[in-house]
Amino acid sequence: MIEVHALCKAYGPRKILNDISLSFAAGQVVSLIGPSGGGKSTLLRCLNGLESFDGGSIEIGGQKLVPGGAKVNARALAAVRQKVGMVFQQWNLFAHRTALGNIIEAPIHVKGLSVAEASERAHRLLKQVGLGHRADAYPHEMSGGEQQRVAIARALAMEPAALLLDEPTSALDPERVGEVLDVLTALARGGLTMLVVTHEMRFAREVSDRVLVLHGGTVIEDGPPAEVLERPQNERTRAFLGLDRGPR
Amino acid sequence: MVVLLSAWACAGSPAADDSLRRIKEAGVLRWGADVQGGAPYIYEDPDHPEKLRGFEVDLAEALASELGVKAEFVQNDWSALVPSLERGTFDIAMNGLEVTPARTGVVLFTRPYYVFASRLMARRDDPSVVADLDSLKGKRVGTLTNSYTADQLLAKGIEPVYYEGTDEPYQDLVAGRIDAVFHDDIIAGIYGEPRPQLRVVGDFADGFYSIATPKTDHSLRDAVDAALEKIIQSGKLEEILRKENIWNDRQIGLIAWSDADQRRLLGEPVVSTLRWSHMIAFVQAAGVTLVLSILAMAIAIPLGLGLAVCRLYGNAVVSRVAEAYVELYRGTPVLLQLYVLYYGLADVIKLDAFTAAIIGLGMNYAAYEAEVYRAGIQAVPKGQMEAALSLGMSTPLALRRVVLPQGFRLALPSVTNDFIALLKDSSLVSVITVVELTKRMTITAVDVRSWAIPGLMCALLYFVMSYPLSLFARRLEARLARS
Repeated sequence: MIEVHALCKAYGPRKILNDISLSFAAGQVVSLIGPSGGGKSTLLRCLNGLESFDGGSIEIGGQKLVPGGAKVNARALAAVRQKVGMVFQQWNLFAHRTALGNIIEAPIHVKGLSVAEASERAHRLLKQVGLGHRADAYPHEMSGGEQQRVAIARALAMEPAALLLDEPTSALDPERVGEVLDVLTALARGGLTMLVVTHEMRFAREVSDRVLVLHGGTVIEDGPPAEVLERPQNERTRAFLGLDRGPR
Repeated sequence: MVVLLSAWACAGSPAADDSLRRIKEAGVLRWGADVQGGAPYIYEDPDHPEKLRGFEVDLAEALASELGVKAEFVQNDWSALVPSLERGTFDIAMNGLEVTPARTGVVLFTRPYYVFASRLMARRDDPSVVADLDSLKGKRVGTLTNSYTADQLLAKGIEPVYYEGTDEPYQDLVAGRIDAVFHDDIIAGIYGEPRPQLRVVGDFADGFYSIATPKTDHSLRDAVDAALEKIIQSGKLEEILRKENIWNDRQIGLIAWSDADQRRLLGEPVVSTLRWSHMIAFVQAAGVTLVLSILAMAIAIPLGLGLAVCRLYGNAVVSRVAEAYVELYRGTPVLLQLYVLYYGLADVIKLDAFTAAIIGLGMNYAAYEAEVYRAGIQAVPKGQMEAALSLGMSTPLALRRVVLPQGFRLALPSVTNDFIALLKDSSLVSVITVVELTKRMTITAVDVRSWAIPGLMCALLYFVMSYPLSLFARRLEARLARS
């Protein structure tokens, strides 16, 4: 359902994405790993148009994004963004709205749902992420883990075909990571298409169907987690995973 | 201790009138007037703007030379000539100062140096104004604040439209903003009569310009009086007045001016005190200030928000235009903007004074609000916009629903503080004839010859209006700091 073709992006002489071609099937849970600066987050942000790119194309559910940014892609982006949801490292909850208010905002104003319909959906989703009791809490009254779970519920409220998650647990206190991973695991088991940029190797290994390793703007490894994480072909992957250091 | 006490007693003694000796020792006679009053009293020479001309300039020099000193001009706002004289800013005030009962109580007047008529003017195409002051009831009549003509109107129960300059009332009469102008004949002759659209309706009570000295300076007043007598008898005054083309038969009475005439002119000083009606007028004027400020802010807030959004999110042209607006309005005085809007654009768009005041202040404050919102919007984290876009919102929707509400909230304490500043800045609109709290205070202060109590009342009313807002702003700031 997502096709990336010969994607290129550069900041001046520095190539962030170097001729990347990928294909993601519906229902796949994909982990993007690799050293920082490898292009993982940029790739993810290109997929829903938060970043523009210089060459190649992206096709999502029949909508095609081309180089030139938001202006050129305005119509396609409007459709794409309703198909793929996004979860950010820093949650980015709307600070002036409660948990409930955050979730119902887009369904009402983008999809045209009534307040009652949107609220009902929001309550169901809050329960699903274990926050049924926090509907009226403002972001500043919630922990990072709670905020991230509300952010996931907010993305799900638009009923996306796929979810993009940009390091969803990196900004959390260690003891809060588990509650978010549990929610993501449940979603993966439920059959949602997910692309997750992550440093959580356990999640990559146990939950995802496929692991991509990005390094220097190219995909240097692509395969099932057992293969990529246990028997990587590329020595830079071995270095990143720390496999060369000890016997295994 | 004894020395100190006796020194204090001497300083406080009214017998110590050394005013004339002081001036002769200094060799300078400082005289106060307002160049804004214009020709023929005192004005800048068109060919040499640094040089002053006018019959009062010539008279001041003649007086100084009779006293054996040099004349030194001191610029002072006309409506505050008397209080400035009282506090010693200059030695004498001479600037078309009419002898009125209210003034004779606070200053000493010399014999008059000019006799004027109070001249009523109206538009040619408006026959409804006739030569009877009673017929002016219900009409808008322009005149100068705290002038003899204003007093005559007030005595008939007519609340005048107050102007601070001499040309503006005639300009507004032509424009149809007022129905008549009641002013000294000298002023009417120069600023009113040359306008073909206007006609002279009639002349009313004669009035007299005299020179004022502080109440304690008897020796100075007597010396100036004697000098003036010499100047009149020698024909020098006639020469001076003829130079400005304002000599007429009325002035002949000045030559044979007797002590009896002077007593009759000064009459019994009227003691005017602060009355309940003043208090009520103050509260009403405070209402004008408040309504004016609220309506101006009602323009400034949405306009400022629009400017901020244009500047941040518009294309290059729109953003530049918004920036130019902000810089233009912040970079020029609001007083000038009011003048241009009310008088300068009168041929294009004829706003009434109150509307012009609201629009003028609103457009000025919009520039400041735009900057406050811009700062507020920029303080909203970038991730808020990204999250909104990723949920499928368009940029305008994301702005409206997510970014602007948060930016506005961040800006709210500054907006409240700006409103407090606007309450006080609104006093500037008196230049376009709106009588608000500060203007009411100056009118009353001159009327009752005391600045202390009207000033305190005025301050109290401003404080009552602004302090609750100040508390509100502080609470908002505290709430923002918590979240």
